[in-house]
Amino acid sequence: MTNKTHEQDVEFIRALAELLNENDLTELQVKRDYGEDDSLNVRVSRQQPAPAPVQYAAPAASAMMPAPGPIAETAAPAPATAEDPAQNPNAVTSPMVGTVYLQPEPGAPSFVSVGDKVAEGQTLLIVEAMKTMNQIPSPRAGTVKRILVEDKAPVEFGAPLMIIE
Amino acid sequence: MTLAWPEGVGRHVLPSTDSTMAEAARRAPSALGPEWVLAFEQTAGRGRRGRAWSMPAGNFAASLILHPKEPPQQVALRSFVAALALHDALVALGVPATDLALKWPNDVLLKGGKLAGILLESLGDGRGGLAHLVIGIGVNLAAAPEPSALEATAVAPVSLAADAGVQVGPEDVLNALAPAYADLEAQFTTYGFAPIRNAWLSKAARLGEVITARLPTDEITGTFTDVDMDGNLVLETLKGRRTIAAADIFF
Repeated sequence: MTNKTHEQDVEFIRALAELLNENDLTELQVKRDYGEDDSLNVRVSRQQPAPAPVQYAAPAASAMMPAPGPIAETAAPAPATAEDPAQNPNAVTSPMVGTVYLQPEPGAPSFVSVGDKVAEGQTLLIVEAMKTMNQIPSPRAGTVKRILVEDKAPVEFGAPLMIIE
Repeated sequence: MTLAWPEGVGRHVLPSTDSTMAEAARRAPSALGPEWVLAFEQTAGRGRRGRAWSMPAGNFAASLILHPKEPPQQVALRSFVAALALHDALVALGVPATDLALKWPNDVLLKGGKLAGILLESLGDGRGGLAHLVIGIGVNLAAAPEPSALEATAVAPVSLAADAGVQVGPEDVLNALAPAYADLEAQFTTYGFAPIRNAWLSKAARLGEVITARLPTDEITGTFTDVDMDGNLVLETLKGRRTIAAADIFF
């Protein structure tokens, strides 16, 4: 997805979300090929009204999606998963269930920020479980494209933490 | 009487260092096997999340370097292994087992007071495993730190000398701790977490009682019913069962 097509893509996803509502569908998946190695893969879905007040754990990815914007105005929640961080091959994932810390200690500067260049092996963050502080290193040299978790947030095994490209 | 020093385990005794955790992390890349690093003085001792670890003269501070091969989730279970090892070492040094209890996941309590602190730090290898693990253990042998240096809600600090009447030096503790740890480490790598969990639960403080787990953004109060096979604290609350991987415990 390049920048010039970004607005068109948003427009396209919005149209899909409307289609979903108008036709009372629960899910819609479309792949658009712009050219070689340039395609847009969109899956738009919404939840059926829950039969009972059951609490569902929020999917780890939902908190990391950018603000839904126009799509949120449609009647039903329709999280667009145009770019699922968990599927991103450049995602650094959590090796354990635990709590994330983005700083070495409270009050200290973060290990890294979005836009930072990082070296292979450089510490990106800490995941704690059972008083074990596990430093997560960057698997490769690159740039911090996205930070997908908040400081002190609980994470599950395999949850995407950062995108390093 | 203590057991012989475990075979193949390194032993470094330093007069002073910044922190044994930092010293051990620096030595870890070149360590060929498990190594203990003891210091009589720490100039920048630290606890969890940058908390200061105050170390009056005569107290124990040591870190153990390991290169575990299990996935990080299992490596973290060594919190329980370390707490049990310290418990066993203290019993070997003459502390009555009935005066000791364990607080999730790795605090060792003497007559209900905080005698020791255990902190584990690991470094990922970038391929889903770990480059090394360092287990840091601090014990108030001669003196407890001033309560003013602690959080108001923290367990009151105690010392081995004042509260158990046991006079031992840092090297005595290391000589008891290293074999105790080696035995439990062998048990853990051979039989897994089950025997460690059972032994830990048999010494757990407040099992069956109401306790509070303080998470970074939440507080959960419930009956402490179990530690599950992943090492999580299990609390039965009014809203149901909660399993907790990281928290500070208060009671």
